[in-house]
Amino acid sequence: MIQYAAIVIFVLGLYGILVNRNVIKMIVSLNVMEIGLNLFIISIGFIYDGIAPIITSTEAAGALIYVDPLPQALVLTAIVIGVGTTALALAVAKSIHRVHGTFDLNEVGDLQ
Amino acid sequence: MSAVLLIAVPLLAAFLSILSKKIAPYLLLAAALFNIVILFFLPEGFVIIGGFVQPLGINLLFDPFAKIALFLVNGLVLVIAFLNLKAFAGFASILLVALAGLNGLVLTNDLFNLFVFLEIAGIAGYLISVSNKKPVHTFHYVVLGAIGSSLYLFGLIILYAMFGTLNMVGMIEMIETGGNYADLILPFVLMFIGLGVEAKLLPFNSWVKGVLGKSNTMSGPMIASVYAAAIAFVLGRLINNLFQFEGPLLTVVLVILATGIVLGETMAFASTKAREILLYSAVAQASLIALLFVNGVVIWAVFLIVANALSKTVMFLVINKAAGDTGSDDVNDLQGLFAKNVLVGIAFTLAALSVMGMPLLVGFVIKLNFLTALAAANQIAFVAIILIASLVEGIYFIRLLVKLWYRGDKDLDVKYGLSFKIVFVVIATALLVFGTYSAPLNQLDNGVDTIAEVINNG
Repeated sequence: MIQYAAIVIFVLGLYGILVNRNVIKMIVSLNVMEIGLNLFIISIGFIYDGIAPIITSTEAAGALIYVDPLPQALVLTAIVIGVGTTALALAVAKSIHRVHGTFDLNEVGDLQ
Repeated sequence: MSAVLLIAVPLLAAFLSILSKKIAPYLLLAAALFNIVILFFLPEGFVIIGGFVQPLGINLLFDPFAKIALFLVNGLVLVIAFLNLKAFAGFASILLVALAGLNGLVLTNDLFNLFVFLEIAGIAGYLISVSNKKPVHTFHYVVLGAIGSSLYLFGLIILYAMFGTLNMVGMIEMIETGGNYADLILPFVLMFIGLGVEAKLLPFNSWVKGVLGKSNTMSGPMIASVYAAAIAFVLGRLINNLFQFEGPLLTVVLVILATGIVLGETMAFASTKAREILLYSAVAQASLIALLFVNGVVIWAVFLIVANALSKTVMFLVINKAAGDTGSDDVNDLQGLFAKNVLVGIAFTLAALSVMGMPLLVGFVIKLNFLTALAAANQIAFVAIILIASLVEGIYFIRLLVKLWYRGDKDLDVKYGLSFKIVFVVIATALLVFGTYSAPLNQLDNGVDTIAEVINNG
């Protein structure tokens, strides 16, 4: 069920990128899309009643149900990459504002 | 010595280059040269990292396919870095990251690792496009690139949920033994679209015009040649080994690619700006390469990538230098460019004729062979489309060449340095030599195996 919610968030983000012409709003939409994707990845590894994938000395490793740790590791990497892309996009947005004096791509128009 | 060095050395050099901006361009040259040298000595096969036996852990696949790609990528980065040693010295750290990312893309045997390298190379690519000083176009590139890689990630996570592995070899084996084809369509389409954005395939390539249409002597060849070649190799690897296009999906993919060829050539034909002509030609060639991979014409697609990357490097360098010096890339404004630059003109003409597929040049040998292979596979429709596209290509390139050779009303003052001329002559000679003496190409014919063949043959 949570996967449907994640897909809805992903599509919302994609819709935001397509309909917005404001650079900052597009970056926010990009992040919404990435959050949807990250939730989707996490949901792949989810197991009902599963515990955190940490082996301790008090519990026998085979006796417990763990959630899949790999999607969590993937999400961690995807988040870092997403932050990098966002930082770069914001730097480019600042550059657009410096050159054109606006964040609105409609107003930039043929000036480029 | 391990193939990991091909990624680790440029990455280490990138960190070191931040400490001293003065040595950064030389570090870039050294790293690219180091990679080219060790490529001669590295043993072929899987490179296991951290002692994890497949399908666990991340590993690399260093086979003839990857070797050709790595020679091309590292060689071209070396050339581009050498030519822009002074003009774009500040971009050396970024080029080092790009080199690490592209080498990783070509080498990796892990699908998530491929996504990471796609993003590393992508972010370096966005930064390279910053050198055009057109932030709006760079922003479009960032947004489309981010959407593309997100779709790729989406597709690969669905595959992970189905098969429980990210290892390419492991996944191929599992798909062969127990994959339900209907379930695979969605992830394959998502991954294909994701890579299609970077590979400049229509209709996912709206960023190309802005980025390459305003490019310079560094960003033009880097994105049109090096990035295009590396991504084409990755796309080829995945189409060849992982993606299974069958039935209606195969038809849809082929129609999209054939449309890409026709539209790319038509847009190039309609354009009056030299850089746009080159970039639309590159778009058409990207679709052509993908079409060949989908039809299983692997080795000639590989040679086409190499020949295209070399030709486009010369052409973008010539036009971007002229556009930078004159302030315009309109064909009419560049009239008579070669009147004073005869040597450069000859190199450009040979590169253009090779892309068109004229006899005595390597483009002809490649085109003849892949058309023969397509005809043998009974794909006559695609042979016809490619021939018609070649005709259109011939018309606009000849038109461009005539304009550039014949002196106009005003004299152009564009001077190419000795280093530029050396590179042009070497590449043009290579295109001519392998066009007349094609035995080495035919010998390599059976050298490129699919991953399944690599596994079966040990």
